[in-house]
Amino acid sequence: MKALRKILVIACVIALAALGASACGKKSESGGGSGGGGGGEINVALTSFPDYVDPQLSYTVEGWEVLWNVYTPLLTYKHAKGKDGTQLAPALAENMPDISPDGKTYKLKLRPNMKYSDGTPIKASDFAYAIQRLFKADSGGSVFFDVIVGATDYADGKAQNISGIKTDDNTGDITITLTEPNGTFENVLGLMFAAPVPPSTPLDKDSTNKPPPASGPFMISSVNAPRTLTMERNPNFHTVKDAGASEVPDANVDKIIVNENKNNSAQVTDIEQNKVDFMLDPPVADRLAEVKAKYSDRFRMEDSINTYYFFMNMEKAPFNDIKVRQAVNYAIDPEALNRIFGGRLHPSQQILPPGMPGYQEYKLYPGPDMNKAKQLIAEANPADKDITVWTDDEPDRKRIGEYYHDLLTQLGFNATLKVIAGDVYWTTIGNQSTPDVDTGFADWFQDFPHPDDFFRPLLHGDSILPTNGNNYSRVNIPANNAKQDELLTKLIGDGGVEDQYAALDKAYMEQAVWAPYGNEQFTTFLSERMDFDKSYHHLLFNQDYTSFAIK
Amino acid sequence: MVSPIDSLEAPGEPPIPTGVPVAQIQGRSPWYLAWLRLRRNKVALVCAAVFVLIVLFCLAAPLWAEHVAHTGPNENHITDTVMIDGQETDVVAPDGTPLGPGLHGKFLLGADQNGRDVMVRLMYGGRTSIYVGLAAALVTTILAVIVALLAGYYRGWIDAVLSRTMDIIWAFPVLLLGIALGTTLSIGGLKAGPIQIAGDSLWIPILIIGLVYVPYVARPIRGEILALREKEFIEAAVAQGKGPLRIMFSELMPNIVSTVVVFFTLNIANNMLLESALSFLGAGVRPPNASWGTMISDGYQVIFTAPHLTVVPGLMIVATVLSLNVFGDGLRDAMDPRAKIRLEH
Amino acid sequence: MARFVARRLLGMTAVLFAISVIVFLIFNVIPNSDPAARIAGKNADPALIARVNADLGLDKPLPVQYLTMMKQIFTGQLTSYAKDRNVVQQIWEGVPATFSLCIGAAVLWMSLAILFGYLSAVHAGRFADRALTILSLVGISMPVFWLAAMLLYFLSFKVELFPTGSYVPLTESPGDWAYHLILPWFTLAVLFVGIYSRVLRSNMLDAMNEDYVRTARAKGLSERQVRIRHVLRNSMIPVITLFGLDFGMVVGGGAILTETVYNLDGVGLYAGEAIRSLDLPPLMAVVMFGAFFIVFFNTIVDILYAVLDPRIRLGEAAPA
Repeated sequence: MKALRKILVIACVIALAALGASACGKKSESGGGSGGGGGGEINVALTSFPDYVDPQLSYTVEGWEVLWNVYTPLLTYKHAKGKDGTQLAPALAENMPDISPDGKTYKLKLRPNMKYSDGTPIKASDFAYAIQRLFKADSGGSVFFDVIVGATDYADGKAQNISGIKTDDNTGDITITLTEPNGTFENVLGLMFAAPVPPSTPLDKDSTNKPPPASGPFMISSVNAPRTLTMERNPNFHTVKDAGASEVPDANVDKIIVNENKNNSAQVTDIEQNKVDFMLDPPVADRLAEVKAKYSDRFRMEDSINTYYFFMNMEKAPFNDIKVRQAVNYAIDPEALNRIFGGRLHPSQQILPPGMPGYQEYKLYPGPDMNKAKQLIAEANPADKDITVWTDDEPDRKRIGEYYHDLLTQLGFNATLKVIAGDVYWTTIGNQSTPDVDTGFADWFQDFPHPDDFFRPLLHGDSILPTNGNNYSRVNIPANNAKQDELLTKLIGDGGVEDQYAALDKAYMEQAVWAPYGNEQFTTFLSERMDFDKSYHHLLFNQDYTSFAIK
Repeated sequence: MVSPIDSLEAPGEPPIPTGVPVAQIQGRSPWYLAWLRLRRNKVALVCAAVFVLIVLFCLAAPLWAEHVAHTGPNENHITDTVMIDGQETDVVAPDGTPLGPGLHGKFLLGADQNGRDVMVRLMYGGRTSIYVGLAAALVTTILAVIVALLAGYYRGWIDAVLSRTMDIIWAFPVLLLGIALGTTLSIGGLKAGPIQIAGDSLWIPILIIGLVYVPYVARPIRGEILALREKEFIEAAVAQGKGPLRIMFSELMPNIVSTVVVFFTLNIANNMLLESALSFLGAGVRPPNASWGTMISDGYQVIFTAPHLTVVPGLMIVATVLSLNVFGDGLRDAMDPRAKIRLEH
Repeated sequence: MARFVARRLLGMTAVLFAISVIVFLIFNVIPNSDPAARIAGKNADPALIARVNADLGLDKPLPVQYLTMMKQIFTGQLTSYAKDRNVVQQIWEGVPATFSLCIGAAVLWMSLAILFGYLSAVHAGRFADRALTILSLVGISMPVFWLAAMLLYFLSFKVELFPTGSYVPLTESPGDWAYHLILPWFTLAVLFVGIYSRVLRSNMLDAMNEDYVRTARAKGLSERQVRIRHVLRNSMIPVITLFGLDFGMVVGGGAILTETVYNLDGVGLYAGEAIRSLDLPPLMAVVMFGAFFIVFFNTIVDILYAVLDPRIRLGEAAPA
């Protein structure tokens, strides 16, 4: 009996050891999938789930980061870091568009023999269908395509399709006609708003629960909004690569599981303990110092194209006086703002951020110089000293608002602070009927790397709208409006265009239309097993998931 | 109402002097007897003293701000430096970590993320929190007494309407109602006819907190009124031709005063807790004003790197509310030792 | 009896209706929260906003909008303005966390309250009583969210004894589920233990002077038997009714603070987000959910009282 017992015990031990070994080995690399190198399964955490898992509807950082490598448009932004990533290259299209001399006609040709992840062939008419979805599903991105002939008629239901888009499925030809020349049109063609989808996708509804088949290196294999979604290698991506789309890289992992976790601090702990491989959001200020100090081998700060500023309503006293506006620019201290933002603001007092074509550094308001500011206020001697300062309720923005409120008080104004919930903040200050919108917090993240995306919505006279306007300072300088319109008709690559945009930036700041103070930096924080050097942050789409690889 | 004879039967009573002629025994008023009972409750008296001390501490805010800290509660000192032990230290470090507490006149309790002096803010914040608690308690008590008197005396359809209204307010999840009202009213303020209150005025949270607790106080008092109404002295007053208002003021009110006083005291404590909860969720006192609740909310952002910002205001709330609760308890025991008054929470 | 119950249920419905109207009005009277503008995105032009308005039915008169919203809640088709997700489903998904939190905390607080209350009453006036009273009073004097923050800091960060929150579903791992809920249960329970133990204590002290207790003692029962079988049982009745009211309130939204600090994906957290983003559809649904529980438990308690005390259902002369 004793011997039997011994054998049983040894058998149990061996069984347990085998179980343990196999459990440990669960997350190890499995062989490479069809095409492309690497392999394995990783998981990603984010605080807010993508707004829509739908290329035509998604309009948030989370959505774009996740969907960039799932839906390929006709053109793509180069998958490179820094300024290289702001350049366009052909993706599903064979070449960059053939633009007519009058700038109104764009001709492209779809590569042949490509298939979506479910085997459906990719057709030229799928592009037209995607643009139609933008209008019928009320996408925020539809405004970028209003310039296509017949778009508004289609949106209003007066036409069955968009007359300005002609496609031929046999040859793959796509011809787009615009109502006027538009230097940003190529840029918007590179956004996922314009990614072709098969006509099986619902025309006027969000398809988050059943996303359309993929044309990129990854496909969405399952979605459980708003908690989790799974991405896997697209088995038919090789048809896109074989057709010549060399600018879209292969995936380097087999599977990515994306999970929502509202607790940023818990995400930080998870990455530190290697339970999660990547977190989309920067670590919360409370943990940032610790991460920087202890995990510098897998953490770095990343630049991003955005500007943080205080808007000043130029239509009303006291900000209708240029001296008051310039005083604010002298008084604010970008370094102080950086500290209350947790150390992630790159100080800058210009409209365009570094990395944006047209950015050239200058310094108009050296400071912070409270004395100069107070002197300017004394010269201006505004009669109306009541100011309402607006900000939203996210913790760092609230602190920024409190700093600004104190600053204005120090300058001698009678300032009142209003803190509004983040989700309704923009529509509140963008609404003309809201009283007392004098000054407050604002930021702007690029939609695409073209300076017009900053100047037009934020500083053009036409953007002063009754509701939902983005021109919070109510800037309307006719000479600059005309310059913007003139530059829009040219292409960014044309000679002198970037310099002229830089001059425009300075011209606006000479008028002190804003009080900008910085550009927010993002972060890359990876678990130990990820290849830190391979992974990079794209200036528009944030982390490029095709650059994720296990060491 | 406890008659003097009854009260002598209660435990812990001052004894009737023996050997004294009956004519010389003074009838003592119930208030005096209550005071005697309260006086013997040392713990309650200590707590009352603690509360008074806290109030004085907060009232001294301008003195501290001016003479010791040399800064106001809302002044930011983000990029400033202070001399500590001869060393120049950042008030807020480049990575955003604020200065901790220490034995220096300025920033005695350290700084918060905006570089503001925590001690100064604590004192000013206390003024706000206690003010809101007191004012809201007044609002609740006055409204509750009015509702209870009307409902209890007239009964019938007046009672039905008032009680249903109380039911509706009661059924509303307290915090949700408070947050909903706080958030919406803070945007545009309250404009009801001639009354105009700015969105960031303290009266918004005061009115909201005051309103929310009315059913909790009105219901028990209404019960008392209903019971009192059946007693003979009310019948007598009606027979004498006294009008309803006169009866309410001169007959009913005096009999509920002791209940009302106890409720009032305990209500201040509840109000301070509710105010801190609303401010923590961003729907109470508006920034940049300090209240103990907003300080905890701000401090929570850096709880791992600067825990003192969360601990200190919380301890102040606990101390104040605890002293009020203990004193209120003692008051209840003193006013009516066998009472079944229960402040339903 | 049936008439009494029917009357009560009718009252319940009326109250819920009134609450829904009040919430609807609060959020439709404030300016500057145009949902169409929010959905249309940051670059929208007036044409797009107009289309969104029409699609959402926001250009119809208020009573029509109200009825549509109510219908959508009851048929489970309500979608939120902010994220275009099904509200009723979101609430449904938050229910496990909220119920786990509330029921667990309730079990904890009732057990402790009965224990403390009993001991306090038995040793009235002596050290144990005073100590427990002070403990209870401290418990009810702490802001719930502050206590949660303190526990998180000391027991989760400084000493890594407990996890920093987040909810693990019971079906996923019962061990983890309980482990993640220990601190939240304790936090929520602390407040109520104080109140309940003191109520039980004073009820028991009163009961000990009653005639039936003297009779029981005269019958020869031991002091312990008297206390437990008679005094405790009878003192529990008001406690149980109080529990009914409080449990309704906790489930109905009282747990919002605990859920926020510990990041539990429950109905309370969802409610907080909805209110702060002024998103009317989920807010309406959550308030109805909360109010329903409060009113439901209120009604059960009323009915129980009527069952126990016939004077109440026969006339409305009972004290509130």
